[in-house]
Amino acid sequence: MSVPPPIDVRGLRKVFWQTTTGQAVIAIDQLDLTIAPREVLAIVGQTGCGKSTFFDLMIGLEAPTEGSIRIGDKYPHADFDHFRGKIATVFQQDRLLPWRSALDNAKLPLELIGMDEDEQRKRALTWLKRLGLGQFTNAYPHELSGGMRQRVAIARAFVVQPDILLADEAFGHLDEVTAAELRETFLALARECGSTAILITHQLEEAISVGDRIVVFGKSAKLLADIHVAQWPKSKYALLREAIQFTLQNNRLDPRLKRIGAKAKRKKKR
Amino acid sequence: MPHDEIREPVRVLTFPRQTFVSLLVFCVFWEVLSHLAPVLGIPPFAIPSLVRIAKSIATITPIDIVVTLARVIGALIASFVLGLAMAMAMYRSDRLEKYLHPIVRLFMAVPVVSWILFAVLWFPGVEFRIGFVLVVVCGPVFMVDTLDAMRSVPRELRHMMQSFRPTGLQFFIKLMLPAIVPTIFTSWKVNISLAIRVVTIAELVGAVTGIGHQLSVAQELFSVADVFAWTIVLVALLFMLEAIVARVEHRLLRWRA
Ligand SMILES: Nc1ncnc2c1ncn2[C@@H]1O[C@H](COP(=O)(O)OP(=O)(O)OP(=O)(O)O)[C@@H](O)[C@H]1O
Ligand SMILES: [Mg+2]
Repeated sequence: MSVPPPIDVRGLRKVFWQTTTGQAVIAIDQLDLTIAPREVLAIVGQTGCGKSTFFDLMIGLEAPTEGSIRIGDKYPHADFDHFRGKIATVFQQDRLLPWRSALDNAKLPLELIGMDEDEQRKRALTWLKRLGLGQFTNAYPHELSGGMRQRVAIARAFVVQPDILLADEAFGHLDEVTAAELRETFLALARECGSTAILITHQLEEAISVGDRIVVFGKSAKLLADIHVAQWPKSKYALLREAIQFTLQNNRLDPRLKRIGAKAKRKKKR
Repeated sequence: MPHDEIREPVRVLTFPRQTFVSLLVFCVFWEVLSHLAPVLGIPPFAIPSLVRIAKSIATITPIDIVVTLARVIGALIASFVLGLAMAMAMYRSDRLEKYLHPIVRLFMAVPVVSWILFAVLWFPGVEFRIGFVLVVVCGPVFMVDTLDAMRSVPRELRHMMQSFRPTGLQFFIKLMLPAIVPTIFTSWKVNISLAIRVVTIAELVGAVTGIGHQLSVAQELFSVADVFAWTIVLVALLFMLEAIVARVEHRLLRWRA
């Protein structure tokens, strides 16, 4: 299992020109962020604050207007082919190809990296089974429930055992029980694969349960708070949730977040 | 496997009772009319009896059917390949699309008869003339339909595909082509009926084989029975081709609910 490269975001800026109005939309403004290998990071932020745009830049679908995202010593947009099979995304909707069976959907990324046909099948089958879909490998997406389809989408992301896993509100549209279950599975598998995982979410519960680190985006992906969850005792989770809520609502850092973070730092120094 | 599809029998040509009844009524009406023709002052050759038509059908030369069919299928395949290739090029390049689109619109507005006359004036070879007319009529339809379909492949699916970083070719083969298959079938169905109708007109001019040629011979002989017989052949041909396409479509589009 190779160690994924670190992610280094420097002075990232993304401006869209709206075709209808001709106006500029600053989706991301001067974002600095470093993500360590194997870190599990949750991004929270109000709607329209540029979270998905950040992912589009990570995926390499869009080029930054200014600044850069560096993954190891490569850039996801400029070195598009380099990252084939190394970054995988689970989207909000399952985005399965309706004409492919669950198995064929799951093996799509393997086809793109040109893996041997038998090996493709074997790997895709393994992952489908791990996600509890052993019985449904031949089913078309329309024959599966929403939760099952999302499982296929997760299998599709994991087949390549990517360095970096992205999940954009991947569990938001499912009922709470299913969502929690799938999130657990997703995180366990990500840790097992040793991937760096970044999850965008609307739900604070989800963000907190994700684990390592929570970053809170303000408008234009302004970094409002950067929280290392380990520094918070479980008993203070209610406070943490409240403080994040405050930060989101007021678009500025809640002082309570500062204090705890600082206390932890002081403790470490001693 | 519980999800191995239960294959339903494909009914290629179904004849519900109503269809049968209405056809029967039409035949009876025709037969009665043909017997009444002298009384009504209609020349007898104008409405031949069913027996006379049956005799004409018996004299039909299969070679002409084969020739016409070959022309139609050959031209349709050429039109499809050309139309799809152009649509793919135009999908990739907006600039190309901006230049080509007006021309294609212009082509589609030109009446078939004009194309036939142009073909006769420009090209010496009969086969080439017929092929040219068919391709120039059917090609743009394939192109416009497939381009439209490519444009309407959901952004979500395109993004998903892109996120796995395919090469340009993989993107087309794994996403675009399968996504537009339903449209391709619709386009084929439209173009088959278009081609069958156009080929006969094209064959009227200068061809010495084919159904169109036989129709013109029948017309010169004032043989309504022959015209009728060939028309029946044409209609049957059209239905047969459509049935084949429907069958392939049913097989390939099983993934649809
Ligand atoms: N292709 C685009 N063209 C123009 N503007 C865009 C484009 N993509 C995003 N934007 C704009 O950028 C801003 C950020 O959008 P983004 O989708 O990143 O938000 P988000 O944080 O993911 O929101 P949500 O939580 O609702 O998904 C929005 O104002 C949006 O209108
Ligand atoms: Mg979003």
